[in-house]
Amino acid sequence: MTSSQTSTPEPPASSTHAGGSGGPRRADEAERAGGRVVLDGVTWRPYGRREPVLRDVTLTLEPGERVLLAGPSGAGKSTLLRAMAGLLETADAGELSGSVTLDGHAPGTRAGEVGLVLQEPGAGIVASTVGRDVAFGLENVALPRADMEPAIRAALAAVGLDKPLDTPTSALSGGETQRLALAGALALTPSVLLLDEPTAMLDPGHAAQVRASVEGALAAYPVTTVVVEHLIGPWVGLVDRMLVLDDDGRLVADGPVREVLAAERQRLLDMGIWVPGEPNPTPLTTVKNSPNWTDAATGSGKNSPNWTVEGEQSVAASALTIERTTRLVDGSTRTQPAAVLGEPLSPAAATSTALVGPSGSGKSTVLLAFAGALTPAQGEVRAGDRPVADLTSRELAAALGWVPQWSSSTIVASTVLDEVLVASRALGEDGDERVAEARALLAVLGLDELEGADPRELSGGEQRRLAIAAAILHRPPLLLLDEPTVGQDRHTWAAVVGLLRDYREAGGAIVVSTHDAALIERAQTVVELAPPPRPPEPPATQRLLAARAGPLALLAGAVLAIPAGIIPDHWSVSLTVLAVQFVLAVVALTAVGRGKRPSGRVRRVLFRMCPGALGALSVGWSTWLLGGNDLTTAITAALRVLIIVFPSAVLLPLVDPDRLGDHLAQRLRLPARPVVAVAAALQRVHTFGQVWTEIGLARRVRGVDGWRPVPLVRHLAVVTFGLLVRTLRLAADLAVAMDARGFATAARRTWFAVAPWRWPDTLVVLASLLPIAVAVVAPALLTRP
Amino acid sequence: MAAPTTTSTPAHTGRGGSILATRPLMGWRTVDILTIAFLGAALGIAFWGWGVFYNGPLSAISFAFPPMQGLLTGPWFIAGVVGGLVVRRPGAALFCEVVAALVSMIPGTEWGATVLVSGIVQGLGTELVFALLGYRAFGIAAAVLAGAMAGPFAAFYESFTWIADWSFGWKLAYAAFLAISGAVIAGAGGWLLTRALAAAGALNAFPPGQEQRESRAV
Repeated sequence: MTSSQTSTPEPPASSTHAGGSGGPRRADEAERAGGRVVLDGVTWRPYGRREPVLRDVTLTLEPGERVLLAGPSGAGKSTLLRAMAGLLETADAGELSGSVTLDGHAPGTRAGEVGLVLQEPGAGIVASTVGRDVAFGLENVALPRADMEPAIRAALAAVGLDKPLDTPTSALSGGETQRLALAGALALTPSVLLLDEPTAMLDPGHAAQVRASVEGALAAYPVTTVVVEHLIGPWVGLVDRMLVLDDDGRLVADGPVREVLAAERQRLLDMGIWVPGEPNPTPLTTVKNSPNWTDAATGSGKNSPNWTVEGEQSVAASALTIERTTRLVDGSTRTQPAAVLGEPLSPAAATSTALVGPSGSGKSTVLLAFAGALTPAQGEVRAGDRPVADLTSRELAAALGWVPQWSSSTIVASTVLDEVLVASRALGEDGDERVAEARALLAVLGLDELEGADPRELSGGEQRRLAIAAAILHRPPLLLLDEPTVGQDRHTWAAVVGLLRDYREAGGAIVVSTHDAALIERAQTVVELAPPPRPPEPPATQRLLAARAGPLALLAGAVLAIPAGIIPDHWSVSLTVLAVQFVLAVVALTAVGRGKRPSGRVRRVLFRMCPGALGALSVGWSTWLLGGNDLTTAITAALRVLIIVFPSAVLLPLVDPDRLGDHLAQRLRLPARPVVAVAAALQRVHTFGQVWTEIGLARRVRGVDGWRPVPLVRHLAVVTFGLLVRTLRLAADLAVAMDARGFATAARRTWFAVAPWRWPDTLVVLASLLPIAVAVVAPALLTRP
Repeated sequence: MAAPTTTSTPAHTGRGGSILATRPLMGWRTVDILTIAFLGAALGIAFWGWGVFYNGPLSAISFAFPPMQGLLTGPWFIAGVVGGLVVRRPGAALFCEVVAALVSMIPGTEWGATVLVSGIVQGLGTELVFALLGYRAFGIAAAVLAGAMAGPFAAFYESFTWIADWSFGWKLAYAAFLAISGAVIAGAGGWLLTRALAAAGALNAFPPGQEQRESRAV
């Protein structure tokens, strides 16, 4: 350990390692020369598991080493990365023994010492713009604002992400989002970089970009690096050393990458690892080969080999243009083209159609339209003579099966076996034979031992296979699959691909969105989707006067209406106050400056006042009832409600949720960490609508949705619950990502964005005090003897 | 497992076998803060949805006996109860309820900015119960009490705003109906919701998840 602390006399030597820009930074890094990771006998058992996930892992990583970590799915690779980062107990609880040190101390002693990039693009994104997101770690270590921009630009340059700092993070592709996450880690000059399947969810083009970024970044920041990846081939040239974990969480191989690949080839293949240079495994024969399955399926005879898909495939699409509307937190909506299907598509029985194209080209969106969850702006998807969206839930279940990309949030039942049987039960086909078939199907997909487990406890790959089983068991004539082979090892890949082939040969029609070359090759039709053109930015509109104020002033204006409402005790005073508020509202909503006149100002206020008006009626009514039918009191009470609510309807839509956090923390000095957490949550609220749609569809497609009151209430409850589960997962992942960027110790932090209090803020507050003043003074003027 | 344990997570247990938050009690982990924020945001959207729904049944009830509309208010207290039950640290209930109120306010409700004040007041009521129990009891009884206590707090605040002209008797009845609704919907309902979330594996980093998992190790 002492070697790492000696100030190195040879920074020039290391800076010759890779030429080009960033030289000074590299020398700086070499002086640090940290990154020696030592694990000694690390064993980890999360609570609720009988067996440890990691067993007695002992290893040493030297500074600057680049390591590939492989193992079968569920072997604990991600867990080992989190152990190295000292983040095991960030989002989980369990028993940990052994020790982990980084340069002789506990990892994470210095904020951002261990950089971490997670598998799901966006899982670790904190802020709404590129610049702010990279700045997050710098804020946590309280870097002065003036020093942030150079550090941000250097990190973005290292990953080759050439975007203006104010680019919205939501406008980035999956690959760009991963590179942003990498930049966010690099900005803190980590000693160790941990990449947890950084390209698993990306198409090959974006995956290559990310790998190139990693390579470039390692040239600029030569730090100890550990990569976990399923498809290890493309990484072999980038790493020096390879570690292999087995099913039990033990380290079973460790050495130079090519030696390990050569020496351990058979063992790696047995583990199901995608060893580079090996051809794809042969798809399993699933249906025909499984005696239980054929027995049950045909009802008799071990010799009946075939499984047939009955029911006619009649779902077909014309050329489509599909738009998706995102409802933003402030109540406004944003509609963007999400997919364009250039040619009609009618999947024929016994064929497979592959939808291909880069991420963001709308493959999932087309599948959603096929399932009737989205109504195309142009064109139509029909099932026979009806739009597919008009089918009842049971008719839809009979017509098609859908395997979503996010199988975790679309789980309906509480055991694996029940989950597989959901659609069959809804269709009234849940006899013993079907249950036996379900078991056979689980066995084919390697899930038979988990039959009684809660499906939400399964790993991502297991959940995906379960979703396939659940979509296929009742043998709908059409199967829609969204990336079914992502995250599967060689064994489970062979099972999935075999099952799909057998389903197709039995007469089923498949539409599959995929990046998997082997699946594309097997398809009879390949439909290439291009990302839809982005609509031009709407021309700048004039700004409303009140929109010049910051979020705090607007909130204050809305809250100050409470005393203004309470004070008046006669309807004449109330009416005067309301009139003053009305005049102020007209001024506040006046648009000035250059550009188009903004539309919908009045409509928005009226819309927001509708519930308020109902509330006023209700309060007025109850007061009338109570107060001996005294109309004066009742009207006063009703007006009070209007006074309290009206300024909110005018001012709250103008609050920018992104700026709210900055102002709460810097102006009101609220504690920094909760404020940042709330800002991160607010930033994701608009994605909830999409999650809601998918969960709802998952139920509808499986015949368990209905419009009668009881099923409807149950449906709403279950969908809300699914949303909560998904949200909590997001929070747990984000916690890991934020802690890796120094958030745990960021009680005193700096802020990249300024939150000034300007004269429009003062003006809004003063104007909001006016109705209160009127309420106090008016009685004297109005009630003359 | 003979290896020397350098890090361990001893489970503190409180009343009725409730597993407590890791010590120090005020040592909020990142995942605690984020979970409350996200839970609050998701429940805030649900609050907003309930607000849209609420007007129908509300109008019907206010024709009969207006204080009974308190029976429909319980769902808004649930964020505090669930936040408190999940994280089990001082401030969790208040924080969660306030975030939910904030998020439900932004799309616009019939109460405008006052929902934020309501959220603070209701959250304080819920928080008070967990505090009085020393943050050591998180069973169903504690949940029911916490949900119920939001009722009188809400009634007290509303007696200055929405129901200022009601007689004292009506206000008292209103407070009672709020408490009943809070106890049943927010208290018992919140407790059930927390258990269900734990069963779904969504609370593994928290005491309820730990209770769930240790009760049936896999």
